[in-house]
Amino acid sequence: MSWLRRITGRFPSIVIARRNISRARTRSLLAAAAITIGVVAIAAIGGGGAAFKESQLDRIQEQGATNVYVSPGFDKEERHFDRTDLMRIEETVGGAGIVATESRSMEYRLRADHRRTISATYLEDPRLLYEVAAGEIPKSWRRSAVVSHEFAADQGLEPGDRIVLAPEADEGEQTEGRAYRVTAVLAESAAFGVDDVFLPIEETGDRTYSQVRITTQSVDEAEAAATSLRAEFNGRKDKLLVFELTSLVRLFRSIVNGINLFLAGLGSLSLLVAGVSIANTMLMSVTKRREEIGVLRAVGYSKSDILRILLVEAAMLGAIGAGIGIALALLVVLAANAIFLGSPFAFTTETLLYLGGAVVFGIATSLIAGAYPAWRAASERPVEALRG
Amino acid sequence: MGPDPDEDGFGTGTTGETIPTDAIIRGTDVVKEYETGGQVVRALKGVDFEIAPSDFVAVVGPSGSGKSTLLNLLGLLDVATSGDVRLRGEDVSTFTDREQTRKRKETIGFVFQSFYLIPTLTALENVEMPRMLDRTPTKTRERATQLLERVGLGDRLDHYPDELSGGQKQRVAIARSLINDPDILLADEPTGNLDRDTGDQILDLFDELRRDENVAVVTVTHDDYVAEAADRVVTLIDGRIRETESRRANFEEDAEP
Repeated sequence: MSWLRRITGRFPSIVIARRNISRARTRSLLAAAAITIGVVAIAAIGGGGAAFKESQLDRIQEQGATNVYVSPGFDKEERHFDRTDLMRIEETVGGAGIVATESRSMEYRLRADHRRTISATYLEDPRLLYEVAAGEIPKSWRRSAVVSHEFAADQGLEPGDRIVLAPEADEGEQTEGRAYRVTAVLAESAAFGVDDVFLPIEETGDRTYSQVRITTQSVDEAEAAATSLRAEFNGRKDKLLVFELTSLVRLFRSIVNGINLFLAGLGSLSLLVAGVSIANTMLMSVTKRREEIGVLRAVGYSKSDILRILLVEAAMLGAIGAGIGIALALLVVLAANAIFLGSPFAFTTETLLYLGGAVVFGIATSLIAGAYPAWRAASERPVEALRG
Repeated sequence: MGPDPDEDGFGTGTTGETIPTDAIIRGTDVVKEYETGGQVVRALKGVDFEIAPSDFVAVVGPSGSGKSTLLNLLGLLDVATSGDVRLRGEDVSTFTDREQTRKRKETIGFVFQSFYLIPTLTALENVEMPRMLDRTPTKTRERATQLLERVGLGDRLDHYPDELSGGQKQRVAIARSLINDPDILLADEPTGNLDRDTGDQILDLFDELRRDENVAVVTVTHDDYVAEAADRVVTLIDGRIRETESRRANFEEDAEP
């Protein structure tokens, strides 16, 4: 006796079910194919959608969703932060890095008749926020300026050039321009709202700040920082205006999740159809095997034996369909990963959940669909079945 | 090649107390009613029966006389409406469905007119079928091979039912009915689909089994020729036993090994 028979002899229900399935091969394959379609629909839509969502979230993250921006609130008497405020904010957010900036509008004077309003940011060290592409920033950069990539490209500026800036003035009023040497040009950045020109904080004269940026490593950390800032400062009065992108991220996430779930739900409709098909196949099969099941009952198979054999049969149909389906869905998901996330193997947890869930749903659908035919066959009295 | 000598038909299946009788199954004043289309049909109207080891009983009678009903009661496929049916002294009406199935497996072997072999299984697998759920593949295969050799099909183990003649199919079915070492073989028209010569072989096989394995054979038949081979003929007419004719057992004269 071969080792294979010794092993299979331990799982007779599976052996019997396999035989019965291969008996009406075409019919079984068609029923399994219905499950395949359902599994592919759920897994491919869900898994592909998850990859798409992940790629979009990554992009939002690059746009600065890990940052929290704080400005003076409506109830703050001074319209700016001073050093004490900064220390309190830094204490509140714990380990996160903070960069305080002051923004002002300036007039950029190229020639006497050429003026343009630009936004300038005063800060300690631009390298805390941005990367430098050309030139360098000396430790003390008094009377130097750093310009953004876009502004440099627009105005044809290079490190070493001189620019003249003047505080913005009302109509008719005349203000004196001040010359700065361009010491560095920033690298291109995906972040939004990068100002044109960056100047040393000492240039403001009074070391006050209009905005504080808190940099964290993740969206969740940003959310936590924002929450603790609101709790600390905005008890009764709104001393801080806390702005973060995390609520936007959350909104985006819930929208995509909703769409994804809806589409996967549509996919599971096809599993419903598959269930009907399995039920039909099983019903046909047990009707055809009525006498045979009667004989099994007569020779000592109990109701639960018959029930088990037929349920294993249904589950096996489902497993075959789900197996083929998951192989196909995997191809789709690999393609989606490659397109959205750059690598075919960049599976997200959610994608894996959708893949696993589709298989479980496929087999469960078959089991549920097989339950009625199995129950009917098992509860038929052998006397009736054998009467013909 | 013969069966184990210690299998006397009593060794298996006896649980609990046994009353001192050598009857395997005994019925007293058994009534069976069916309800069909709102009408109650009395298929058996109070019959007594008793089957002892190595009996060969033929039940004859016109169709609708209750023969099949009686066979179903003997086979524990059905329970009597009233009256007392005892399997080795145990009242079968007290059995749960599960117990009934288990007792059936231990005590009864079935042989059908149209064989009811499973077409996708080989002769050997068909014989193994009743024991497949026992998870003893090695033992079952040995016993099944032995039984097929016993019924003269040792060279047809791997043939499918399609590749066997009617007589061979019925012999496979008989081997299948013996796989659980039953005490009674219930045969519903066992020769009904066979020609006379093949029928002869089946009847000879029954005689051998009774002699060698102490198996009682109860057969329902329309065929006088089968009835003649039995040592007791029960004639059922309209749900009552009209006549019981006893003959001397004739199998002892056979000189088969």
